[in-house]
Amino acid sequence: MSQATLRIQKISAHAGPIPGEGTQRESEVCKLIDTTTCIGCKACEVACMEWNDLPFGATVFDNTYQTMPDTRWNYWNLIRFNEHETEDGSLMWLMRKDQCMHCADPGCLAACPADGAIVQYTNGIVDFQQEHCIGCGYCITGCPFNIPKFNSETKRVYKCTLCADRVSEGLEPACIKSCPTGCLHFGTKDDMKDLAETRARQLRDHYNFSKAGVYDPPGVGGTGVIYVLHDVTEPEIYGGLPKNPHVPLTVKLWKGPLKWLGNLAMVGGLIGLFVHYLRFGPKSREDEDLEASKPHEGAQP
Amino acid sequence: MTNGWVDIKNTDMMLIMGGNPAENHPCGFKWPIEAKRNRNAKMIVVDPRFTRTASVSDLFCQIRAGTDIAFLGGVIRYAIENNRIAKDYLLNYTNAAFLVKSDFKLPADADGVFSGFDAKSQTYDKTSWNYQGIAGSGGKDSAQGYTLGAAAHPPSGAAPSPPPLPERVSLDLSLQNPNCVFQLLKKHYSRYTPEMVERITGIPKEQFLKAADLFTSIRKDGDIKKVATIIYAVGWTHHSFGTQIIRTAAMLQLLLGNVGRAGGGVNALRGHSNIQGATDMAGIFDNLPGYLKVPTPADTDFDAWAKRITPKPAKPGTWDTFNYWGNTPKFGVSLLKALYGDAATKQNGWAFDYLPKVDRNYSWVQLWDNMYNGVVKGLFAFGMNGVAIGPDSKKNIDALKKADFLVVGEIYPDETSEFWRSPGISPDEMKTIQTTVYRLPCAGFAEKDGTFTNSARWLQWKNTALPMPGDCRLDQAIVAQIFLRIRDLYKKEGGKFPDPILKLAWNYTDPSNPSLADVLKEINGKALADLEDPATKQQIKTGQQLPGFAWLKDDGTTSCGNWIYCGSFTEAGNQTARRDASDPSNMGVHQGWGWSWPANRRVLYNRASCDLEGKPWDSTRKQVWWNETAQKWVGHDVPDFKLDSKPKDHMGPFIMNPEGVGRIFGPLAAFADGPFPEFYEPVESPTENLLHPQQAHNPVVKKFRTPDDKYGTVQDGFTVVCTTYRLTEHYHYWTKNNPMNVQLVPEPFVEIPAEMANDMGITGGEKLKISSVRGHYIAKAMVTKRIKSMLIDGKKTYQIGIPIHWGYRGIAEDEGKTARTLTNSLSPTVIDPNAFTPEFKGFLVKVEKV
Amino acid sequence: MSSREQILPHGRILRYQFHERLTHWAAGFSYIYLLLSGLAFWSPWLFWLATICGGGQISRILHPWFGLVFVVAILFMYVMWAAQMHTTEADKAWWRAIGHYTRNEDDKMPPAGRYNAGQKLLFWGFFIFGILLLVSGLVLWFPEWIPWNLRFLRYLAVLVHASSALITIGLFMIHIYMSVFAERGAFGSVIRGDVSQEFARRYHPAWYEEVMGSAARRK
Repeated sequence: MSQATLRIQKISAHAGPIPGEGTQRESEVCKLIDTTTCIGCKACEVACMEWNDLPFGATVFDNTYQTMPDTRWNYWNLIRFNEHETEDGSLMWLMRKDQCMHCADPGCLAACPADGAIVQYTNGIVDFQQEHCIGCGYCITGCPFNIPKFNSETKRVYKCTLCADRVSEGLEPACIKSCPTGCLHFGTKDDMKDLAETRARQLRDHYNFSKAGVYDPPGVGGTGVIYVLHDVTEPEIYGGLPKNPHVPLTVKLWKGPLKWLGNLAMVGGLIGLFVHYLRFGPKSREDEDLEASKPHEGAQP
Repeated sequence: MTNGWVDIKNTDMMLIMGGNPAENHPCGFKWPIEAKRNRNAKMIVVDPRFTRTASVSDLFCQIRAGTDIAFLGGVIRYAIENNRIAKDYLLNYTNAAFLVKSDFKLPADADGVFSGFDAKSQTYDKTSWNYQGIAGSGGKDSAQGYTLGAAAHPPSGAAPSPPPLPERVSLDLSLQNPNCVFQLLKKHYSRYTPEMVERITGIPKEQFLKAADLFTSIRKDGDIKKVATIIYAVGWTHHSFGTQIIRTAAMLQLLLGNVGRAGGGVNALRGHSNIQGATDMAGIFDNLPGYLKVPTPADTDFDAWAKRITPKPAKPGTWDTFNYWGNTPKFGVSLLKALYGDAATKQNGWAFDYLPKVDRNYSWVQLWDNMYNGVVKGLFAFGMNGVAIGPDSKKNIDALKKADFLVVGEIYPDETSEFWRSPGISPDEMKTIQTTVYRLPCAGFAEKDGTFTNSARWLQWKNTALPMPGDCRLDQAIVAQIFLRIRDLYKKEGGKFPDPILKLAWNYTDPSNPSLADVLKEINGKALADLEDPATKQQIKTGQQLPGFAWLKDDGTTSCGNWIYCGSFTEAGNQTARRDASDPSNMGVHQGWGWSWPANRRVLYNRASCDLEGKPWDSTRKQVWWNETAQKWVGHDVPDFKLDSKPKDHMGPFIMNPEGVGRIFGPLAAFADGPFPEFYEPVESPTENLLHPQQAHNPVVKKFRTPDDKYGTVQDGFTVVCTTYRLTEHYHYWTKNNPMNVQLVPEPFVEIPAEMANDMGITGGEKLKISSVRGHYIAKAMVTKRIKSMLIDGKKTYQIGIPIHWGYRGIAEDEGKTARTLTNSLSPTVIDPNAFTPEFKGFLVKVEKV
Repeated sequence: MSSREQILPHGRILRYQFHERLTHWAAGFSYIYLLLSGLAFWSPWLFWLATICGGGQISRILHPWFGLVFVVAILFMYVMWAAQMHTTEADKAWWRAIGHYTRNEDDKMPPAGRYNAGQKLLFWGFFIFGILLLVSGLVLWFPEWIPWNLRFLRYLAVLVHASSALITIGLFMIHIYMSVFAERGAFGSVIRGDVSQEFARRYHPAWYEEVMGSAARRK
């Protein structure tokens, strides 16, 4: 969705400078998810569907409270439920709200070939602009969090917008507004990091979670969605939250060195062939010359 | 709730048991989380399943459904043994020091029942459940305990009048007398050892001790400042001893000095947005609005009724007592004036004869039993899906088959209005069902205005959000039109006793569709003559709204539809519509938000938050206090006390009890089944009662006797303990019509322990048939580690859980995607003897693959 | 291939039969579409190429279908030509003399057969990298069908597809250069199908000898 009131900071596959670059400064926004106070009520799931007008989809019982196995093109916000047995045999039921992480270095954006289909606003929100999306799905490959989802009918890819439309009007995202326990917070990245660290310290000092910490993975430059986890050393137990996510190496190679190498090779090849032609010319002047059986006629000395 | 939702943020310790607030009260659950986040409060969750509440707790104990009294009794024992009690509070604000009659016997000394039990009638003679009076007092003519409970039962209405409380009660402030309440309490729960708790509840001893230690740690080393709260819901009420579970919690809280204090109390989480309001407005048959006891045929006139239900003070020793229920006649007369207006006069006993007299038990389960037996001929079912929500669905369906008519007011076609299409009824049988069903389209919650009374006793006005679709009508319009037509019929045709109908006050702006603001004004009450407060000289003119129940009179000069709601709609306007969120004390009092009964008071019994001198136990959590200069009680909250009662007068803070103190011992008719809670097994239980095998179940609980009433045993193969509950994602039986909810949880399921699934070769998603002796339920298996096998008296026992939300009408049901069975096909018809709530939890089933 | 019909009535030599030429152009045109749309996806500076190919969305939809056409075409080529593409001793000598070839000193080249070693390289290059493009392309066609735990396939695919494409682009440029610019008459051979005897003798002497020899024998 296009947000004229938000300014773009990064833009996919765009030739030339970023539109409006450097016109104004703005602080980065951030969503803080405190998994230690999430009760898996799914209010955020419903709020997300309602605010974004996402159509219903069918689900089937899958031996879990989790609404569906993964987010969908029309379901951007999913709480992952995980039963986890700790070393001392006690049970934890971990609930993690899964959605776009709004990476500072978004792999989706890096991988996207369509001009302007993915933008990152100056406030850090990574947003898909479906009208520019060509449906190639490279963003799916670029994302280390398995977030962008393809709609085979519209042939476009969709994901959480961090309610860019609401945020641009000074409102919090719909999920934040709906959260009953206040496990979701929204504010500037600095404020949220502070709050998260304070909570993590409280968990370590007062609640026996000695490994509690904040998940703000540096591999993707930090994220616009950060988690407080009971055990930050094992994010995988929260429904496969990657420990050290980064834009896939091959995507980096492809969009980095390979691209320059390829461009160089292609341009070099063209120049080389052209120069070769200038230097040596065709192997023969005309077909007719060949008929005359004159050796070497076509070749330059 | 004694306290309120917001107040939970003030707590240091939470015991959440018999409730699953994270799932069923997610919005209110922000306050427990606040307490954790801001006060480092700890949360203990005790539940048959590891719930979403347990997932954010600090300690979880998996308990066998229905053994809560054993657990809580064990905690009481632990608190006493380890001296983790609030000594000053206990001594001065509870009846711990009261002496009990010497012929009172505990179950340990009387074959598992209390003294006075008559096995034939399954009732108690409660004479021995009384305090010792100080010589020369008591006896002749003082009133009895005000709770009617048992008095509503006898069919003839000839309520046997139990003896009264003594006018002055003997105390032993040393708490050493073996007949004092404290010593009896200690003795009674001395049997609830950690070993016994483990054998009964299935909670390993170490785990139980951890929980008991953590909960009572607030009173470690004589600390009185910290506060613990107990939070419960229908997990405690859905038992044949539900009231007694809550009693045990209340006793524990009194023992620890937690009642009346910010962050403390015993807090019931109501299961619907307005259940508290329904209860306040006589939702239960033995109440009139404001918890006035309903008259019985034995109450021949107003005075007899008033005398029976108005308690006289029972002063402890030299202490003072307020005995607020002493004002009962004022509430009664004002109610009758509200009901019958000018037709209620002093001469006709305030039209007392117009009031229906309750001749027997009209509780939910009894109604359906009566319908089954052909006594009840028709049913108006509004805003409830009777077939699905009651126990033993088959019995309810069979009952409806025998009724003449059924009127259902609903927003969806539901199981009740289509009972004749329930699975198992053949097309041929359908033709034989003669019940006439009228289906009335009603308005949904967003299409109505009015108030909701929440768990915290707050009345909050809400506006209409949407217009009603199609031909829908408001409930009050339907009721009004039925009333007006019946009145017309009486006018035209007369009848045996037309006066109660003809003279009913019906002074609404639009009589055929009364506005709820009109109704609320009527409930609040008004002056019928010019009134003046003798102390303040404040005047109220005839016709003005009353500012509070202190103004109510028993001389017919006031009318009030519900005394506890008096003050909700005053001359200053609709108080329930106030939305001032300010909270100067930061204690979550919010005096300007909505209106809280009674008297806009947010924490009940808040006098108990202060020591004897009137100083708060914890100066950082000041609620009310004695202002020596002004010589009165003041505070952030409205003091729940006689404002000018000096601390040295030693008036008890529990002003609604005739003795003015909290009842650790429930004397006389307070409870049908014992002055102390004793652990009894659910009616269907997997084991004998380890405390007294000769008395397994609650002795006063009666089984029902229709052919549909069957009770299963382990010997019949019903070995698995089953509990039922609701999910966050659904709301009772109607969200199965909403695609959003259906998407969140699409199908019925049964939660079974992974170990059991392993034993039986069940995989997740496989279809299971759960059978009780009454019926079966088909749903997919949710195999989970969140329920573990238990050792009950050393025997491996499994427990399963079934959410209730599905039936035979709904999106998935109509599409044939689910099995169209009702969870309550499984549950037994058996009820708590005090509150008449069915035992939906802790019955026996067997589990098979389909 | 039978050599019987290779001398045409007007003295030219039939080099490519109709079905060969058709296959070649099926591959050629589909490759050009793949190239243009692929380059559009390759670099923002070339994204305007997508407009030529029908717009971004259309390009993305058609690219894989043209890919299938291309792969089918090279499979046909494989069936038609693979037998003639085995490396021989002459090819090795040819590679050793590649310097002469690049300087247009064709008379110093060891005699090439119907295909010289460079053409064989082109053939195998397009065949092998065509298959790689197909396999990686299938992954990229339906990325949403690749389960999360097999995501390495996608990671591999983006690299393989791009690298393979680059290699074929290199081959393609040489191919165009040789056939359109360097060897007069080569272009005609995939249009009309025939080449002059001089062309054959000059660029494919061994093949020429073979064709002439067998023609003589038949006479």
